[in-house]
Amino acid sequence: MGRLRGLVLFSLGYGLVLELLLVAAVLYWPDFLANIDSIRNLSRPIPALGELVGQIEATGVFGYVAGQHFFKACNTLGTAAAVLFGAGAIAGEAQRGTLEILLARPFSRARILCERYAAGFLAFALPIFLTSATIPRLAARVGEEVALASVLLGAVHQMVFLGAIYGVAFLLSTLGSSPTRIALAVLFGTTFSFAIYMVKVVTHWSLFRLCDIDDFVRIDRERALDWSVLLPLFLVGVLLHGASHAAFRRRVP
Amino acid sequence: MTSQGTIEAHGLERRFGSLRAVAPFRVTIGPGGITGLLGPNGSGKSTFLRLLLGIVPRDAGAVRIDGVELAGDGRAVRERAAYAPGEVALYGEMSGRAHLAWLLRGREPSATERAAALARSLGLPLEKPVRGYSHGMKRMLLVSAALAPEVRIRILDEPTEGLDPSRRAQVLELLAADARHGTTILLSSHHLGEVESTCDRMLFLRRGELLDESEANLVRLRATRTLRLRWSEPCDAERVRERLARFGEVRCDERSATVFLREEDPRRSLGELLSDASLPRPVDLAFGELSLAELYRELYGAEGV
Repeated sequence: MGRLRGLVLFSLGYGLVLELLLVAAVLYWPDFLANIDSIRNLSRPIPALGELVGQIEATGVFGYVAGQHFFKACNTLGTAAAVLFGAGAIAGEAQRGTLEILLARPFSRARILCERYAAGFLAFALPIFLTSATIPRLAARVGEEVALASVLLGAVHQMVFLGAIYGVAFLLSTLGSSPTRIALAVLFGTTFSFAIYMVKVVTHWSLFRLCDIDDFVRIDRERALDWSVLLPLFLVGVLLHGASHAAFRRRVP
Repeated sequence: MTSQGTIEAHGLERRFGSLRAVAPFRVTIGPGGITGLLGPNGSGKSTFLRLLLGIVPRDAGAVRIDGVELAGDGRAVRERAAYAPGEVALYGEMSGRAHLAWLLRGREPSATERAAALARSLGLPLEKPVRGYSHGMKRMLLVSAALAPEVRIRILDEPTEGLDPSRRAQVLELLAADARHGTTILLSSHHLGEVESTCDRMLFLRRGELLDESEANLVRLRATRTLRLRWSEPCDAERVRERLARFGEVRCDERSATVFLREEDPRRSLGELLSDASLPRPVDLAFGELSLAELYRELYGAEGV
């Protein structure tokens, strides 16, 4: 209950930040369009950034919103939230000393783990879904049209991508007792992966290639999920969840 | 014999790396009564209690609680027994009442109200966040939650640790009342006195092994014949030892002596001993008590203390 309240509050705060960033980004769209030449010149020294600007230019408001909301905000703040929620799920209880009480209650370990997993997943995924749903209305404020179906499908893609990262943090949480160390280790990995996205020669090694503007524009164009990317990510998430169950079966307080 | 209300463990084993925390042994506890589990730190008491409920997964062996086998992760067993952990760890921001609801999730709905009534009788301010509770108050909250469910078995890891004497007596009285209703209680403790006064039976663990109960009972019997003396001034320990040897086995130093009286009836020995003017003048005298450390030394040898 204590953890749940903490999750809800954290989730609300993080959802609010996502929405504020989204509002600011969408309201800036007319200025962005007006200054596109200057922005293209500014991004020239970083080829990957220039590529992003080029994509936005080619795909219009949807590419811009996908870049601002999904690629930038959700891939950074969403990743941080997913890692923090995952790392604290079991290791946080172990560190606090409350894991023993949790395991002593008349519930199966599988149920305890699923409840923890679901609570953390919803805490980082729901704000993404809900804030994404506001995009069409915000776009209308600047005279643009964005399809609700496209942004919701994009949100699903984003949630599955972050679900795989969440799965890594969650698995480590079932094995360890220090949520801070787990979170730092996973965040270091994801930050490194995000950083190399901008490096032309190694950008194809970045995990965030699986969740960038290209993917969202394809979703918008076809009005369908891209299963060639989504299915492997989903399977990784399922495998990590299965591994968490196996680890938790032998877990001691 | 019915297995309802009993705790049966057979060949239970658990290792942590190369350390064998609990070695295989057979024991049946209950139905009914209070059984005390004693042993020095690291003897495997908490691990044994956790193994019984599947809180720590076992490497080998079988457990039956209230007629139900410990199988899988032990959910069926945990439904039939209440547990209070030895470690006092709670969510600081939650109130005592919210904690009781959280601790008793999965139990019958009336358990929370019973737990609240018990906690109030122990003087706990249930509406306040537990971050303001003392260690003893947190302990009492956990004990209240463990005493509330309608189960035949309660397993309590050091339920009175950290409590002041009056609260300790109150909790022990609650346990005794519960046992009078037929509940089987297994508790671990470091307080020999409270275990002796409360428990019908005592089990001793050493390095994860259960000591032979007859051996343990002999040591307890010796404890009831133990006389401890402290002298007003340093004395010649060797001379005092010679003088006291006629009453029984003696351990002695310059300041104190411990005599394990040979005779069952202590009156004659005590009379003679205290009227012996050749002995130093005692400033402190205790009879029939053996500290837990001394008992452990008797049971486990020096390495067990």
